[in-house]
Amino acid sequence: MKRFLIVTLLVLTAFSVFAQAAKKPVKLVIAGRDGDYGNAMQVAVDAYTAAHPEVSIELLKLSGDDIYQKSVIDLRSGTGSYDLILIDDPKSLQFQKAGWLADLGDYYKKAGKQADPDFIQSLVNLCRYPNQPSGKLYGLPFVGNVSLFAYRADLYKKYSLPEPKTWTDVLVAAKKISENESGVSGVTFRGVKGNPIVTAFLPVFWAFGGELIDAKGQPSVNSPEGIKALSYFLELAKYAPKGVSMNNTAQVRDGLLAGTAAIAPEVWPAWLGSMDDPTKSKVAGNVRVMKHPGEVTKSAPMIGIWHIAMPAASKNKDAAFDFLVYVTGKEAQKLMAIQTGLPPSRSSVYDDADVLKLRPWYPAVRDALVNGKARPRTMVWGEIENVLGDYLQMALIGDLKPDAALNEANAKLVQVLK
Amino acid sequence: MIRETRMKGKALFFWAILSPALALMVWLTAYPMLSVAVTSLQNYNYMTDTRSWVGLGNYGDILGDRLFLQSFRNTLVFCLGTTLVEVFLGIVLALVFYGDFRGKRTFMILAIFPMMLSTMVVCAVWKTLFHYDIGLLNYTLQSLGLERFGWLIDKNKALSSLALVDIWQWTPFSFIVIQAGLASVPAEIFEASLIDGASSRQRVFRITLPILRDQILLLALLRTIDTFKVFAKVYALTGGGPGNATETTSLFIYREAFSYFKFGRSSAASMITLAAVVLMSAFYLRKILKEE
Repeated sequence: MKRFLIVTLLVLTAFSVFAQAAKKPVKLVIAGRDGDYGNAMQVAVDAYTAAHPEVSIELLKLSGDDIYQKSVIDLRSGTGSYDLILIDDPKSLQFQKAGWLADLGDYYKKAGKQADPDFIQSLVNLCRYPNQPSGKLYGLPFVGNVSLFAYRADLYKKYSLPEPKTWTDVLVAAKKISENESGVSGVTFRGVKGNPIVTAFLPVFWAFGGELIDAKGQPSVNSPEGIKALSYFLELAKYAPKGVSMNNTAQVRDGLLAGTAAIAPEVWPAWLGSMDDPTKSKVAGNVRVMKHPGEVTKSAPMIGIWHIAMPAASKNKDAAFDFLVYVTGKEAQKLMAIQTGLPPSRSSVYDDADVLKLRPWYPAVRDALVNGKARPRTMVWGEIENVLGDYLQMALIGDLKPDAALNEANAKLVQVLK
Repeated sequence: MIRETRMKGKALFFWAILSPALALMVWLTAYPMLSVAVTSLQNYNYMTDTRSWVGLGNYGDILGDRLFLQSFRNTLVFCLGTTLVEVFLGIVLALVFYGDFRGKRTFMILAIFPMMLSTMVVCAVWKTLFHYDIGLLNYTLQSLGLERFGWLIDKNKALSSLALVDIWQWTPFSFIVIQAGLASVPAEIFEASLIDGASSRQRVFRITLPILRDQILLLALLRTIDTFKVFAKVYALTGGGPGNATETTSLFIYREAFSYFKFGRSSAASMITLAAVVLMSAFYLRKILKEE
């Protein structure tokens, strides 16, 4: 009897120790984004922590510049301050190549799982290094972001304009509407130097056959195709509001909501939630969204996904991996799509009837994602974007002619890529 | 001999009590500066953690970089323009509000209000005021039948608009410094000049300004150093645009260091900026110390 009691006591003690260990509180720190992405991730964080009370999550909501700077400094020093980080797609190579990220393949293997095929595969490949199915998996697509083209269907109908198939069609429409519709600019886009103007320009540049970097790894922005694209872009800008060179997200979005702009060649899925809301938009129901028109080549929407990755120096990798799988899983992606309009990275969510009822423009998003083009994989994307952005804006404000702007930009990019 | 030993002992004691503070100062000031100077001679890429000596290569690159030269020119124009206007307005305001009057205390509190605000808050307010379509300034101009003004979107006006914000925020500082200087001047001097029949103009130019010379030079020195480092206003209001119309050296350094992580180039640009500030400060300090 005495022996039985001792054994029972030992077993109970062991169980309580294991139970304690299983419920050991874990705190994850995520370097996340501010704005729409931050709101969406907060929804997932709340749902996850409600189901996992032992896990607390500190979600840092940082601007694009901040998140990059903080992540680089932390990952380079290996301090492990962050358990998960969001990475802007064109900057992902720097992180993947430096060996700063944990290989998720190892964690999938450990958990006896696989990155399932429900993800839009072209997006998952961007998270691999090298960017092909055999590459190591250093992250997963948190958001299926892609730039889209928006236009006022009511004004197109009023002026008997066909749905834009080419950028030439867009120019005709912008001119006609600008000249005939009082108080409405034919077009509006982001003209602030750096990322905004480059992002606005790239779908045009690619559709005209331009390439930022050629097959030999040399910059080629000043190719005849590139110069034609910029000349076209400046022609289109004639129908933009005065001060388009200082336009950023707020001005483009407000222009569309107020009905003072007919065409926006660059809109993002997260902006679209308010387009059909009559309390926010004066032209609710009249803005149509689609993938970009083509020109010399087919439509080339710009893929702007953000990866979620686990730093190799994280001190809570198992818990971080569990949240990473959750936040990119179908349940969380659907939740975020419904509650905040975050464009998902999973095919099944784009087919979900509940989601489609609320976000009728999602088929256009998926179409653009599938046909989209990613920015070049390079270690110096930040510099490329700033240099090109500077010269695009100088052309936009009339300081330089298109050929001079792109020739100078190209010469500077040669130095950057050296 | 005893005296010499005592002197040596005193000197040793002096250095012993000074050394902790000196070590701290060297560690906090001299070391970072030396480190920046050394890095400026290297091609140091933080991302890849690679360093190589390039001598004066970074300086050559930067001094040949059109963007840096434009940044430097803009910074110089901004610095000299704002300093001149702020010091001038500070003197004018201090002279106008010299002496006691009812409500002076309330006025002083209101006057220093702009410089108590965070620069980012100031920028947020002014960005709205400057807005081309919905800004109060353009609304007022239009109400008066005038053309709207491209405060931040016109490349020829954007730098002046930034200067306007700085002048609005920091003229109160100039006013307070000059006002404090004026208050320390014995009233008898002004009374004597009145008895001697000096005109208002003579009192200002022959008595007040010469007496305040050191305060004015000190104020100009402080504003020059501060405005040469302008960053937040440019970052928040224009981002350096339109084009490169409002690019400044601080923004250039920031971008090289924290967007590209090229610390060699950013260090070289920092050293050039430091040299410019030291040169300008030396000019003022020489004038101040010469008189002493």
